[in-house]
Amino acid sequence: MTALVEVEGLSKRFGRVRAVNQISFSVAEGEVFGFLGPNGAGKTTTIRILLGLLHADGGAAKIGGHDCWTAHSRAARLFGATLEQPALYGFLSGRENLRLFARTLGPVDEKQITELLGTVGMSERANDKVKRYSMGMRQRLALAQAMLGRPRLLVLDEPTNGLDPNGIHGLRILLRKLATEEGLTIFFSSHLLSEVEELCDRVVVLHRGEVKAAGPLSELMNFRGYKYRIDVSDVDRAIEVVRSIDGAKVEPGTIKDSIMVTSDQNVARIINHALVAAGIGVDQLVHEQRGLEDVYIELTGVTAGSPLSAPAGAAPAPAPAGVGS
Amino acid sequence: MFFGLVRNELQKTWRSRWIVFAVMAGIFVLIAGGLYIYYVASKSRWSPPAAIAWQTTVREDIANNQQQLDFLEQAKQNPGNGPKDFGPGPGPDLDNIIAQVQQQIDDDQYLLDHNIAPVQSFSITLAALFGLGGIVMFLLLRIFGWLASEQIAGERSDRTIAILLSRPMSRNQLLLAKAVASFLISLAVVVVTFLIIYAIWAFVQGSIGPLTGDVGVAVDGSKPLRGTNLFAMPIWLFVLMCLGGAMLGVLCVQGMSLVVSAVFGRWAAIGITMAFLFGAPLVSTVVGAILFAISQDPNRAHFLNYLFVNVLAPVSALTPVFGNGPAGPSGTGMSEFGFQVSVLAAWTVGFFIAAWLLFRRKQETG
Repeated sequence: MTALVEVEGLSKRFGRVRAVNQISFSVAEGEVFGFLGPNGAGKTTTIRILLGLLHADGGAAKIGGHDCWTAHSRAARLFGATLEQPALYGFLSGRENLRLFARTLGPVDEKQITELLGTVGMSERANDKVKRYSMGMRQRLALAQAMLGRPRLLVLDEPTNGLDPNGIHGLRILLRKLATEEGLTIFFSSHLLSEVEELCDRVVVLHRGEVKAAGPLSELMNFRGYKYRIDVSDVDRAIEVVRSIDGAKVEPGTIKDSIMVTSDQNVARIINHALVAAGIGVDQLVHEQRGLEDVYIELTGVTAGSPLSAPAGAAPAPAPAGVGS
Repeated sequence: MFFGLVRNELQKTWRSRWIVFAVMAGIFVLIAGGLYIYYVASKSRWSPPAAIAWQTTVREDIANNQQQLDFLEQAKQNPGNGPKDFGPGPGPDLDNIIAQVQQQIDDDQYLLDHNIAPVQSFSITLAALFGLGGIVMFLLLRIFGWLASEQIAGERSDRTIAILLSRPMSRNQLLLAKAVASFLISLAVVVVTFLIIYAIWAFVQGSIGPLTGDVGVAVDGSKPLRGTNLFAMPIWLFVLMCLGGAMLGVLCVQGMSLVVSAVFGRWAAIGITMAFLFGAPLVSTVVGAILFAISQDPNRAHFLNYLFVNVLAPVSALTPVFGNGPAGPSGTGMSEFGFQVSVLAAWTVGFFIAAWLLFRRKQETG
């Protein structure tokens, strides 16, 4: 797949503060991409550079091959964006807001506006003034605004802010639908790790302006290796068999009829085959995948609760080999 | 797409600030109503007075001035019996006043002889002088400055600037659309204001007056009206010239406001713009007064007119064209109007270039 978003060696300083330092990543067309990091990690700075609001001090940020600053108009034809706090005109109605933003793209397509209002579930309140909307309604209207002109890329900065659980669920379904049915690329920045975990194909973890990890979610969650729980009929013999397999390591603390095995590689099939060949009954072989939250804490040294903030002196884990960039 | 952007800006200004225009309309209604009530009470009539030809007014002026001149000559020849108002007897003050009155008679006679109507003869030219200069424009310019200072700064405070700038248009287009929209709104307000004042003058004069024909304007208001010091121009051209001068002032204020707006948030931008538009004329008036007190020369403070805040309403320079004797103040007439327009044009261009340079590279950090 071709890269729709390319970020190469991007750097940005604000006075003496280094907001983003030599970061590189790319987002492929049709991908749902998660952008993670604690407050102050450089996420918003990176997004603002992509949107053409900030000028990078070094490196390049391109969308569809167009530089986000020098060829902003051409790059901006390809994306729609929502920001952390939905930016809308409170004195206009929802429909008028969409008309106003549609005029920045060319002639207003009333049919598309009506469709988008329906898509985000705002048809009934479309003619009310936005200042009377709840935060969740504003988020939904902002999403409709981002989808005006049928962009190839949606850049969503904390789109779940202010949404209730139903709203978050609805948004997740909508974004999945947009990605799978319409092939839309989604750049999803969020501090809700569970949402990223459920939605994204690939993620970048940013910390203190640097990329700590980047890659497919499955790889990222196994960057410390694979961990299996195997329920067997004969624990002692199973330990012997597993120890004879290259790269497989039996963890101490075996419980009842189970053994815990770790490996740098995915050796599930090999273990299963060896155990069965040795006449050991395998009741269950479970890949004990760690959650994104565990990985995130390990990478950034930040507790992944709310709010996400980097504790002073927190020492994140080194970038995972083969995953980090 | 550009017209769509201008339309957006017009819609935003109207929908967010319609109360300002409603208040302005209310003030106009109150002023017009008050003036009408005063007219009815003082003249004991409901309808406008009979119209008077400008020649009749000028002849009446000559007769009144002649009467005053005779009185002054008499006072000069009989110093002991002279009116106390003019001092103890003949002296430089009385001679000066006599010379001024004689000059007014000569000026008026010159206009009659050459059939040139003085600029204040008609309702529409009076409306142009009063409505497109002086206190009316002083106040309107401050309102336009306030509205323009919010153009970018307000969007920044509301965070909508980020979404606008992320859209597929250049910053130049957005800035130009905002400038054009501001200008169109202020043009509409100025034209409506002018028409209301014209209607009031037409009522007071008893006639809407001619819209064709010529009016005479002094080139230098402090000098006698002779030959090259009188400039005759069509009425419509005079009105357009005044409108152009007024709108250049508006454009200059909007340029300055956009410079401030390109950098700051809403309240800072409004505060700085208002402080400058009200404070700077006050400071320069004080400076001018001090300079006059020291030098006793009215021209000594003329250099302050190189400051844009002092020439924002260049039509004001045309107002006291007639009746200024040889000792009248400088800084009036067509030449001064031209000077003020040139100064304004230079400032306006400078402000817009500055606004453009600031806005095109402004980092929107949120």
